[in-house]
Amino acid sequence: MKVQFVLNNRHVAFEVDPGEYLADTLRANHVTSVKKACDESACGACTVLLDGRPVLSCSLLTARVEGRSVTTVEAIQDEVDKISDYFGEEGADQCGFCNTGLALTIYALKRELVNPTDEDIKKFVVGNLCRCSGYQAQFKAIKHYLEDSR
Amino acid sequence: MEVNRYYRPSTLEEAHQTLLQDPKNVLLGGGLWIKKSTPSANVLVDLTAIGLNQIRDLGDRIEVGAMVTQRDFELNPLVRDIDGGILSGAVGQIMGVAFRQLATIGGSIAGRFPFSDVLTPLSALDVTLIFYPHKEISLAEHLNFKGRSSDILTHVIIKKAHGRGYFKKVKTTAMEFAILNIAITLDEGRYRIAIGSRPSAASLAVGAMEIVNEAKKPSISDFERASEKAVEEFLYATTTFAGADYRKALAKAYVRRGLEEVSKR
Repeated sequence: MKVQFVLNNRHVAFEVDPGEYLADTLRANHVTSVKKACDESACGACTVLLDGRPVLSCSLLTARVEGRSVTTVEAIQDEVDKISDYFGEEGADQCGFCNTGLALTIYALKRELVNPTDEDIKKFVVGNLCRCSGYQAQFKAIKHYLEDSR
Repeated sequence: MEVNRYYRPSTLEEAHQTLLQDPKNVLLGGGLWIKKSTPSANVLVDLTAIGLNQIRDLGDRIEVGAMVTQRDFELNPLVRDIDGGILSGAVGQIMGVAFRQLATIGGSIAGRFPFSDVLTPLSALDVTLIFYPHKEISLAEHLNFKGRSSDILTHVIIKKAHGRGYFKKVKTTAMEFAILNIAITLDEGRYRIAIGSRPSAASLAVGAMEIVNEAKKPSISDFERASEKAVEEFLYATTTFAGADYRKALAKAYVRRGLEEVSKR
């Protein structure tokens, strides 16, 4: 079946299987910033923005995206670079596999919550697992990024 | 997932007729669990174009469309207003935001998931489920139904309640299923106690409720007796997440604490 949607501000049309998931469609079409890890809705590595809100692309059928807008880090590169700088300053990175999904969640957090508390931040990003960092450095980086972005 | 055809009907009648045509035609809710539960389907019937994604104020009740996402449900002011935000607080603990942006309230209810953090707080409230074509049943009836049905859950009707609520999800990490979850409400002087993930799905602790509801002004010792009854009246089982004895100890402690909390505030 053919599915048409807006991918990173560009109209696209892909031929997909009816049971195909968005993460697979994107990766097959060279959007490899979208990572697959658990592949069962539990880790957040595959996060993309659907109409501006974070969703798990490993669990979203591509067919459901018809007529909607999908954003990956490629479309918000300037913002992702800023987030990366804060992560670098705090030493919040190791392997980097979870970073793209986390960056999109942070970007969505910034747009959705005004003056979030520490608890709000933790609740918003809790679905993005990282097996390297231990989270404290990430939390500090996110907090500083949000404070300086105000 | 092996699927022959994806179908997005524009009416409930079209969706229902498609389900009746073949037992391998499957309804798609949020789509998060189907990947594990249903490796193949003939036709996947997607309800997103039918307009079941609204929450409406019906005066003394609210009507929640089955395709409302957990995230929209959690943030809705009408939902947040029920018993001190018990529903928003419970649903807000389910996995991460990106998960809740896809998962639907209807899917959470229709699946009767034993670990559900949606079913337990809803069980402690007055909730009616509307199915297409012609069925209106209580949440408890739905949870006790063991058969298979082609009826489509369309709306969840929740009676507004402005009392107090308590929800406790016991878990090892934020992204785990509940080892046990407990919801307690106090509305117009009546307590309701629901316990889920025992590991069975949520049920009302009727015996425990009787103890506190029969006492005109329940005391700490009534709460203690009710918590002991809540342990006695269910079967708690051992799973890889937790042992039966641990679950019993948790139930006893958190039922008592929950009763104290809703009675004090």
